[in-house]
Formats: sequence, C-alpha cells, structure tokens
Amino acid sequence: MKPEISNLTIGFVPLTDAAPLVVAQEKGFFEKYGLHVCLSRENSWSQIRDKLAAGAIDAAHMLAPMAPASWLANAYAAEKFVTAVAFNLNGNAVTVSEKLYQEMVAADPDAMFERPTSARALKAVIAERLRKGRETVTVGAVFPFSSHNYALRYWLGAEGVNPDRDVRMVVAPPPFMVDQLDRGKVDMFCVGEPWNTLAEHRGLGRAIVRSADIWRHMPEKALGVRQRWAEDNPDTHIALVSSLLEALIWLDERANRMEAAYLLASERYVGLPAALLAPALVGKGALRTRRSIVEAEDFLIFHHYAANYPWRSHALWFLSQMARWGQIEAPANFLAIADGAYRPDIYRIAAARLGVAAPLCDAKTEGAPDRAWVLTEATAPIAMSASAFIDGGVFDPAAVGPYIEGFIRHNLRIDPSQVYAGA
Amino acid sequence: MERQTETPLIVLLIDSKPERAKIVEDGLRGAAVVRQAPALHGAELLAVVERLQPDAIIIDCDSPDRDTIENLQLVARKNPKPIVMFVENGDGALAREAVRAGVSAYIVDGLSERRVLPVLEIAIERFRMFDALWKDLERSKRDLEARKVIERAKGLLMQKRGLSENDAYAAMRTMAMNQGKTIKDVADNILAVASLFDD
Repeated sequence: MKPEISNLTIGFVPLTDAAPLVVAQEKGFFEKYGLHVCLSRENSWSQIRDKLAAGAIDAAHMLAPMAPASWLANAYAAEKFVTAVAFNLNGNAVTVSEKLYQEMVAADPDAMFERPTSARALKAVIAERLRKGRETVTVGAVFPFSSHNYALRYWLGAEGVNPDRDVRMVVAPPPFMVDQLDRGKVDMFCVGEPWNTLAEHRGLGRAIVRSADIWRHMPEKALGVRQRWAEDNPDTHIALVSSLLEALIWLDERANRMEAAYLLASERYVGLPAALLAPALVGKGALRTRRSIVEAEDFLIFHHYAANYPWRSHALWFLSQMARWGQIEAPANFLAIADGAYRPDIYRIAAARLGVAAPLCDAKTEGAPDRAWVLTEATAPIAMSASAFIDGGVFDPAAVGPYIEGFIRHNLRIDPSQVYAGA
Repeated sequence: MERQTETPLIVLLIDSKPERAKIVEDGLRGAAVVRQAPALHGAELLAVVERLQPDAIIIDCDSPDRDTIENLQLVARKNPKPIVMFVENGDGALAREAVRAGVSAYIVDGLSERRVLPVLEIAIERFRMFDALWKDLERSKRDLEARKVIERAKGLLMQKRGLSENDAYAAMRTMAMNQGKTIKDVADNILAVASLFDD
C-alpha cells in the first residue's frame, strides 16, 4: 500500500511523551512505511492546534482531549481533528511547592499519608488561608483542553474544592512551570514529565499524586490529524499509524527506555539531560516519597493494556469533563463527536497489518473493574488492568448525562440531559 | 454585543522580538492604542491582562504564552474573553495567512469584526514586513561576509602564486565551476588549506 503523500511534517511539544514520534524517526519506523518525516518542535498547544488547522503541519503530537474539543463550536479550532492512535496512558503528576507541602502536612497529617493522597489537606490549607484573609492557592495547569486540567479538577472536585472559585487556576506552558514554582508565582501544578522530576531534582517541590492515582488509566497524548486530511490520505494515515504503533511497541520494552531517554535528550527534541528524562521513562516517575499504591511500571504506559486504542469512551469521558467544568456552552451531540473524533476503525486496520491484537468494541465502562481482567472482545485476548478513579466513580459511556449530574462539584453551563442532542 | 461608542481599540502586544514589536506598534498607530507586555509569563501576564483589559491581544505564534492567554476565557470570567480570530472567519484563509506570518490574535467576545479585522490585517502585514527585513539583513550580512572571504583568498593567491588580481579571481571562478561549488566555498577552502600551512 503506497501512501498518497510521503513527505510529512509533524509537530510536537518537547515532552517525554513525544517519544513515539522521536523513536519512529530515529529508529527508521517512518521510513519503513515509506514516509519521510520532518519533526517540527512547537512551543505551545495553541500553536499545535493552529498550525495543524491551517495546514502548516500534517499531523501532531496532541493532548487527547484536543481532538473531541475541536468539534465543539467554542473550542477555537478552524478544522475538526481526528485521532486513530493514542500515545500513552498516564505520565502526569501533581507537584506542590515545598512550602505548600509543609502547610498541608501541618493542616492534616493523616490525609497526607493516605495513598493515593487526596486533596483533603489542600482543602484545609485553602480554608485556613481564606479565613486569615490571605491569597488562596495558585494552581498551574498546561492547557484548557488537557488531561492535566481534568485530572487536577477531578482531584480537587473529589474533595469538594471548586477549581473555579476556591483556587486560582492559571495556565503556563510546561517548560515555564518549574520556574513559576521557584518564583512563587504558582503554589502547585499538574504537568507531564520531565517537569515534575526537574522540580524535585531542584528541591523546589514534591510530586504528591500522579495522574495514574486520579484515574488509573488516564489517556494522555495522541496523534492528531485534520479530518479532511484523513479522508484525502487514508493510506498515508494508516502508514503513519502503523509506524507509530511499531515505535510504541518498541517503547513498551523497558529495555529500550534508556535509549529512548538518550534520543529525547537531543537539543532537537526535549533538550534536557537524559538523567532527568529517564525516571519517568523507566517507570519510577517523580514521587519523592515512593509510596504510591500504583506500581512503578504503570507510571507511563506506551502500549500494553490496549493503551494505543482510541476508545470512544475516553472521548466521551473528556466531553463529560468539558461539560462539567463549563467548557461546553451549547448543547452538543456527544456521541456524534466521539464517533467523529476517535477512529478505532482506522486503528484496527493498522493493527491487523502489524498482527497486533486490537479490541473489537469501540467503548468500555471506565473506572471498573477494580482488578486485572482480560478483554476477550478483541482480535486476540488482551490483558487489561484495573482502571479505578480516585473517588471510586464509574463512567458508563451510555449514560453520560447522569454521570455529569452525579458530581458534587460542577460548573455546568448546559443541561446534562441534552448531551446526546444538539448539532 | 457591539460597542456603541467608538473608543479606540486597546491592543496588547506580546512579542519577544523588540524590533518587530516596534514595527507592529508603528503600523497600528491610528488604528489602535498599543500596549506591550514585557517578558512576563503565567500569573504575571494574567495580571497585566486584567489591568489593561485589552480588546485584542496580538501575540507571536511561537510564544509559549499563548496557552496562558487561551485559558483566560475559561477561568477568569471577569476578564475579557479572548477568541481566536480564526473562528469568526469562515474559510480560514485569514487564519492560514496569520499562521504563515507568525501572528495570532485574540479578541474580546462580541467585539465587532469590522473593527478588529483591519487591526489584524495590519499586524499580519507588519509581521511579514519584519520577516522580509530580517531576511534582507541576513542576506546582506552573508553577502558581505562572502565578499570579505573572497577578497582574502584572492589576496592569498596573488601573494603565493604571483597572480594578477584578475587572474586570481578567474582561477577561483574556474575552480568553482569545475567543482560545482560557489566562489565563496572555494575561497573558504583556499583559506582553510592556507591556515594549515601557516601554523
């Protein structure tokens, strides 16, 4: 199958999970499928979105929620994006400044020793600060439509903290986050690696909870392309998904992770020492206390547990959180968006060519079961693990409305019974 | 909601290249009141936006601070709600032009297109103009550099081989043609080889 176009420019943001693109480039997986790729380093997610929409790049390293978000009227994308392959599950952490950490320990020592750590101690700190007439806690997140934003908000919301009222949320790009923490401009942040590791390494803060603790299998980055591009270039798209799938399988081998750290360290990619990139890649992550209940190897998942499959239930969960936090202002048909933006059908074609097992169902219940299981509705059985949420919640993709209504904290701007209606 | 009173537009310009910011500011004079944000990020940048209450924000496409600006409309409801200009524009042609020129713009929710478009168009044109100026400058720097190298290599040939100025230049041109290189490359080689023997 010859791709319609062979010269591609793909945008990425300097992060550990740009690894699949870097590995596909450096280990020759793109070339294997007849693709000549130029990787273009971008400074922000807005830049990724606009360059992709304008056609300045063909495909991009993208925050998973950006694809469904691009189908919303107010998401500011000029084009609709689709994804047919996810890069990873998990990989983010919440880091608090050393000062805030001490405040939290003083406010509620028991809560700080629970695993996973909840926002209970933080809530006590916020209440105390407000009572004394002091500024509340300033929280850094990386992009409005990001798993980081939803993880952080989920974690805060689970303890009844309203992220739009009780704390001050600001957005700063990942490479600036550690500096902002150092200068006291943010008290805590949720960001991908290697920035949590860097904050700990410099003694500025502590990673207290990983995104994997908030949702055991939180979808993180994906490959995004324009919907129209995917329609015009189906074979190129499949070639691209296939080459990335090979890179992801390569990355899944722990023996290859140090090599990946050295590849990423290059100035062309992340431009940080391999020693700072390695902890997240080899599975330790940034967690100073090392007492998380999540096994080390689950910190960053590149392929196993069907990690690359674009589950439509993931798209629906992201949409549920966008609605929950007021990012969706007009009724929208969530099912139509999930079907349009997430393309498991394309994934299955690429997986079949590679002989990789692929799920045959498009959605699954998220947050359950709470133990390891085997997905049999697949071309070959796939080992899956627990996917619990920190508050024990269960997401049924067939009942999005009631799910949204069930949260104690939300800032809804649409009627949750209307999530299957709308244009 | 379109504004009834024609107060001047307040534009916040965020650009890390001061030379370009100057060009954009000059271009927008008369069309809008321009304020510049120095190198501020995150919470500090938000504080500036809050204080200035700009109608539009024009920002370098490559700036990482764009993600900070994007979040304004979602977290701080009292702030102006920036919208990426592109949504308003049906066919996306303006967006493509803007991205190519390296400019992004955010406008306050409800501000009329009629008022903002000319400002954005000027900004795009100015970004391009800067780009062209920059390229010209780079090219003339390179030309000057090449001429210096060629002169030195020519002098060397005249001195070592006893050639006339014309013959020395002709010799380099022949070498360049035979090797499929530029005269500058040949001159570089001559100087590099000469430096080996000088040491």
